[in-house]
Amino acid sequence: MIFYLLLPVFSLILLVLQTTILDLFFLGKMGLEISLVVVIYAGFHLNASRGGILAFVMGFLLDCITGSITGLFTFFYVVVFFSSKIVSFRVYAEGLFFIMFFTLVCALSEGVFIMLLYRLIYGVDISTSLFRLFIPQALVAGVLSPALFAFFDRFKVLRDVTEQ
Amino acid sequence: MCAMLFPRKYQAITIASILIILSLIILSFNLKRPGEPGFIRKLVMEAASPLEAMITGSIDGIRGVWKRYIFLVGLEEENRALKRKIETLTNELVNYRESYLEGLRLKEHMALRETHQLPMTTARVVGKENSSIFKTILINKGTSEGLRPGLPVLSAQGVVGRIIESSWNVSRVLLAIDYNSNIDAVIQGSRSQGILQGGGAMGCILKYVERSEEIKVGDAVLTSGMGGVFPRGLLLGTVVSVDRKDSGLFQRIDVMPAVHFSRLEEVSVIMPLEKEK
Repeated sequence: MIFYLLLPVFSLILLVLQTTILDLFFLGKMGLEISLVVVIYAGFHLNASRGGILAFVMGFLLDCITGSITGLFTFFYVVVFFSSKIVSFRVYAEGLFFIMFFTLVCALSEGVFIMLLYRLIYGVDISTSLFRLFIPQALVAGVLSPALFAFFDRFKVLRDVTEQ
Repeated sequence: MCAMLFPRKYQAITIASILIILSLIILSFNLKRPGEPGFIRKLVMEAASPLEAMITGSIDGIRGVWKRYIFLVGLEEENRALKRKIETLTNELVNYRESYLEGLRLKEHMALRETHQLPMTTARVVGKENSSIFKTILINKGTSEGLRPGLPVLSAQGVVGRIIESSWNVSRVLLAIDYNSNIDAVIQGSRSQGILQGGGAMGCILKYVERSEEIKVGDAVLTSGMGGVFPRGLLLGTVVSVDRKDSGLFQRIDVMPAVHFSRLEEVSVIMPLEKEK
């Protein structure tokens, strides 16, 4: 229960930090989407109910904070979480390069998803952002994901306690 | 919690389906009604804003301090650079001003040459002997330039003196105010003749002018051309006082030299004519 109570608070703090402090490192040109890595990590390590709720809450909060269409990140994060879950059942998901690759693919998929959504719904072509924003952002997320996974592992104890 | 609601076997699929459908409903609902934040969204915004404001404020504060620091460092560097530039420019300006003034003086010397229609050479004053007794200057031209003792030396204001000794590259000029200097002179108005003798710091004294001569203060004293050293008509100075009270044949006339000897920087030397050579 504590998990579900703390989840929105910690998610909110993480997302605010992500959209404020982390933006500084890249001078506002692109962002490091830690929340996406968190969702992938949750897909590899948490059960469906906890991870699914985490992905949903994280996506919804990200929608609220970034000002995007409500449901955009909510839907995508939930899809990413369950994709990660399915992948983790079939593949050894602790390998360094696999984490990097999978994060890269997810981040790129996010970019493509947003691009398609804009194209289909608003009729706006943002394909130029693919090379200028989404690919570099996906590369950064992919490269840093093993380190972030290692960092999240430090909270394993907390996770186990809340599970009990 | 979910385990209680759904059978364990289908739990993951059920949760996944619910969450995906729910998120799709939210997405499609918001796509149809854009720009209208729901209650939860407003709540999240309200909750996030103080946190964001705090972090952004802190970041701005740190950024401001950093920028000020960088600015101050930059300012200090800029200040140093500007000071260096000012010094350089001041030096340049002084040099330009010097060159300009030198140009003006040389122009005056050129004018002097044209006025007197005499062969002249310009020399720079390189040394001054300004003790109480000896009043001489050293100029940077000597025998290699054709200078020799006895040649008259002028400035734009008037007569400076004459060369008393010359080496290859420098010459010493006896100033008109030296006690040893004696120049044949004439007073412009009365045409009275006399000898202008140097008086040291006092200026000059015009000697051997008869008491009967009417001399006024302010009269110009010129070279008479009699001694064979100075051409006639060169300005020597102006009469500043006339004294006839002393007994004797002559009156005492004090003359203020036309030249400011302490300010001399360049002089013109009247060169000997070809036949004189």
